[in-house]
Amino acid sequence: MIEIKNVYKSFGQKEVLHDISAVFDVGKTNLIIGQSGSGKTVLLKSIVGLHDITSGEIRYGNTRFDTLNFHDRKKLRRKIGMLFQGSALFDFATVIQNVMFPLEMFTDMTKEERIERANFCLKRVNILNANDLYPSEISGGMQKRVAIARAIALNPEYLLCDEPNSGLDPRTAILIDDLIKEITEEYQITTIVNTHDMNSVMGIGDKIVFIYEGRKWWEGSKDVIFQSDNKELNDFVFASKMAQSLKNITSQ
Amino acid sequence: MIKRSLLLAGQYFLLMRKVFVLPDKPRIFFKQIWIEMEKLGLSSISIVFIISFFMGAVITIQTALNFVNPLFPKYYIGLIARDSILLEFSSTMIALILAGKVGSNIASEIGSMRITEQIDAMEIMGVNSANYLILPKVVAAVLFNPFLSILSMFVGILGGAFIVSFTQIIMFADFVKGVQIFFIPFYITYSVVKMAVFSVIITTIPAFYGYNARGGSLDVGRSGTVSIVASCVFILLFNLILTQLMLI
Repeated sequence: MIEIKNVYKSFGQKEVLHDISAVFDVGKTNLIIGQSGSGKTVLLKSIVGLHDITSGEIRYGNTRFDTLNFHDRKKLRRKIGMLFQGSALFDFATVIQNVMFPLEMFTDMTKEERIERANFCLKRVNILNANDLYPSEISGGMQKRVAIARAIALNPEYLLCDEPNSGLDPRTAILIDDLIKEITEEYQITTIVNTHDMNSVMGIGDKIVFIYEGRKWWEGSKDVIFQSDNKELNDFVFASKMAQSLKNITSQ
Repeated sequence: MIKRSLLLAGQYFLLMRKVFVLPDKPRIFFKQIWIEMEKLGLSSISIVFIISFFMGAVITIQTALNFVNPLFPKYYIGLIARDSILLEFSSTMIALILAGKVGSNIASEIGSMRITEQIDAMEIMGVNSANYLILPKVVAAVLFNPFLSILSMFVGILGGAFIVSFTQIIMFADFVKGVQIFFIPFYITYSVVKMAVFSVIITTIPAFYGYNARGGSLDVGRSGTVSIVASCVFILLFNLILTQLMLI
């Protein structure tokens, strides 16, 4: 479980996050949604400590993360897997080397064991016969899947994804969403997904936190989002005509 | 201006505090050193060879052309060319050249890793990215660049010898005598020590600018340029300090 309490974050005079509190449950796909510039990436990066929060609390299970020192943060981060918007695969390494990287850094596995584990993770995300290719030689969708394989290589307790399906075609985006949900349930991980993709909201949103202008505006799940009368949420989620007609059908 | 310089200096030393710690996995660290030696050092041999050869020849010609006093023996041309190459060219000039070649490589590599979130990915995994990415480069350069300096000494003198035998600007025997006479072995130590110090500058300053790059590819390019200028200024400054400390 990840819990954030009264989180504020400012860059100089500009306040980006204002009093955000939420609990992200184990074994569920927790979504943070909001328009571009609403502060959701800052929130996600604050949760993993890439940005220091101005005030508030961030807890991973019973451990308060935001007050940990550099050494203890490093230790805790080994339990976190993160998928970045642009995949963030290492250019200098091949697909299998990317997945083996955390294993090489943090385990005492032999080379054969590392290869076996990396192959298992790659197979889990349906990447076959691409071990020796470099990230620049594979498609965006494959890069995302390799990044997921790398993120789960160490059996993390927490998985954080920053816009995992941005820049992907709708079919691949759904595949990535489904993969994240499957992995979350299979390994009982606490997953937080940052997205503004409505297919993700409808498809995998076990829990949804809507951020509007740096504030938590709404909280619920995909099942109750259709019934919400929150204007800002409805303007955002049902912005397209297709989504509007879907809402109308559902409410009828 | 002063406030900004102090801020940059503070950020630089904070980064160095993260860089100069024991690596998490010594085995990986030593492997990285070999990779960096190849990338930063071995790949620079050809440019050092070419520049040293031609500059050695030019230094010899210019010394000969300016050496008009008949009271001094001609072999002094070889001696002056040798000392110029040993004292300044093989360390300071080569370091300035490497600051451009190696510095831009480091700044762009680390800068592009920063803007594509690869460094963030390392940090999230719990890897000390500064230590993992920068320390092997520093160690590789400090160990390997002095050899480039020594290579430059030999090739520079070889360039001088070549031009002397080719143009007969002085007798070849005079040049050889000049190269051998009044030789002070400490000059080599001095040059090697300077190159080791310059290597720290050449690697850490571009790494600092790359590591703190923000924005897009334009910013990475800009940080590369700024880092080369800063490296050159610090090489010249430390050249002065080390000369004062070691030769006077």
